[in-house]
Amino acid sequence: MPRHRVLISTVIVLVIGLHAVPVLYRSERGTLWPFMQWAMYKGSSPPGPIQTRVRRIIATTAQGHEQEVTPAWLGLSITVLESWYLRPMGTGDSTAAQRLMDRLNRDRNDPIVALRLESALYTVTDSGIVERDNPPVVYHGHEPESR
Amino acid sequence: MIERWEAYWFPTAPTRNLAICRIVAVAAQLFLFYPSLEEHVNLLRKNSEFIEPQIMVRAISALLPREVVFTPSAVTALYWITAIAGAAALIGLFTRISLLLFALGTWFFVSHLFSYGDRHHTEAVFCIFLMLLALSPSGEELSVDAVLRRRRGKPARYPSGNADTAIWPLKLVHVLLALTYFSAGMSKLIASGPRWLNGYTLQNHAFQDAFNRGFPVGIWVAQHHGVALFLSYVTIFYEVFFFLSLLFPRTAPLFFLGGIGFHIGLYLTGGYDFFQHMVLLALLLVFLAPPWWRAWLNRSWAVFRSREPAEVRS
Repeated sequence: MPRHRVLISTVIVLVIGLHAVPVLYRSERGTLWPFMQWAMYKGSSPPGPIQTRVRRIIATTAQGHEQEVTPAWLGLSITVLESWYLRPMGTGDSTAAQRLMDRLNRDRNDPIVALRLESALYTVTDSGIVERDNPPVVYHGHEPESR
Repeated sequence: MIERWEAYWFPTAPTRNLAICRIVAVAAQLFLFYPSLEEHVNLLRKNSEFIEPQIMVRAISALLPREVVFTPSAVTALYWITAIAGAAALIGLFTRISLLLFALGTWFFVSHLFSYGDRHHTEAVFCIFLMLLALSPSGEELSVDAVLRRRRGKPARYPSGNADTAIWPLKLVHVLLALTYFSAGMSKLIASGPRWLNGYTLQNHAFQDAFNRGFPVGIWVAQHHGVALFLSYVTIFYEVFFFLSLLFPRTAPLFFLGGIGFHIGLYLTGGYDFFQHMVLLALLLVFLAPPWWRAWLNRSWAVFRSREPAEVRS
């Protein structure tokens, strides 16, 4: 085989072979981009209600201003915002709320003093989509040390 | 064995086709999929460390301190260097080097974006394709390099316009797509079994994503169990059996066309934006098609051209 074909063949085998690494090497599954495991949406749902929950967090500053916590503000993706803060706070985890407040209060003159989690459950029914609002949950921050 | 390997990967093919692939892929990356500088700078300003650094980011961090590369000013410089390399690759100026820089820059930005605890599948195969183009004679035609070479009176590297290295990047992308679709389909069947096909699964996935992202078609699908049931079977069939297009190349155009439709459907039902896969499938459809498909395309084109004047006159 000519040399250039040997080189290209090596590249071909390497590119295909590297796709096996994230499958075999579990601890590095998510950090070998562009060689990825392609398991997407593999979970299933049993027969039952078709539902989705929409959550958002509203931050209140010491001066009384309110602002929705967004991925851009946090510098994190919606997926991380969801798994680190929205879901834990939805279960009543106040440590997640405190961590979020600490993160948001870095380099702020007007600190965040409270976070309000608002959520609604939407269900598909024969008569359309039904919305059910849950009572908001408010998390208060610790007093700043300087006070 | 080696003969079959060579016959599969290295048949002679027009270098012009690969040049068109270069232009389409680079243009798509530059004008449709180019990273947002604002997003990268924001990530750097808001995070003092990576959450789950990708291997490329770890490799760079091992060689150079974070304060040198992963700063807003350094990333801004890399952003523009990548864009200039992309423009050069598009017009085919110093094609191999510019394509290599463009592919590396693109890999850097995607790796950086995915080092903060979130990652997606849409870019991976397309970015590999960009790198493969850099390793192939994609700048032999339709390029500034080719014009300069002709002006200097230098002979073309492939005088016939065909090369044995002009088709393997497309073939490898075909194999990778088969691998990834098969993996995606089988993981659903292994993790959930036939329950994935019950219709409720797709209704829930579609409702959660379409509702949150504002895709009305997906919300409609979520409200119609029969439609979701049908689409579940289509999804599994397409993902699991796409590899048949490798074993039976005559069927490949149907899978490529089906794939474009599949991804349009995925986008409409949940905002799953596999646009890069659509570009790849379209390139495969045009340049990796079996003779019957090319003959059909040529016939259709000839019929269209012969009718054109009459239609214009009417």
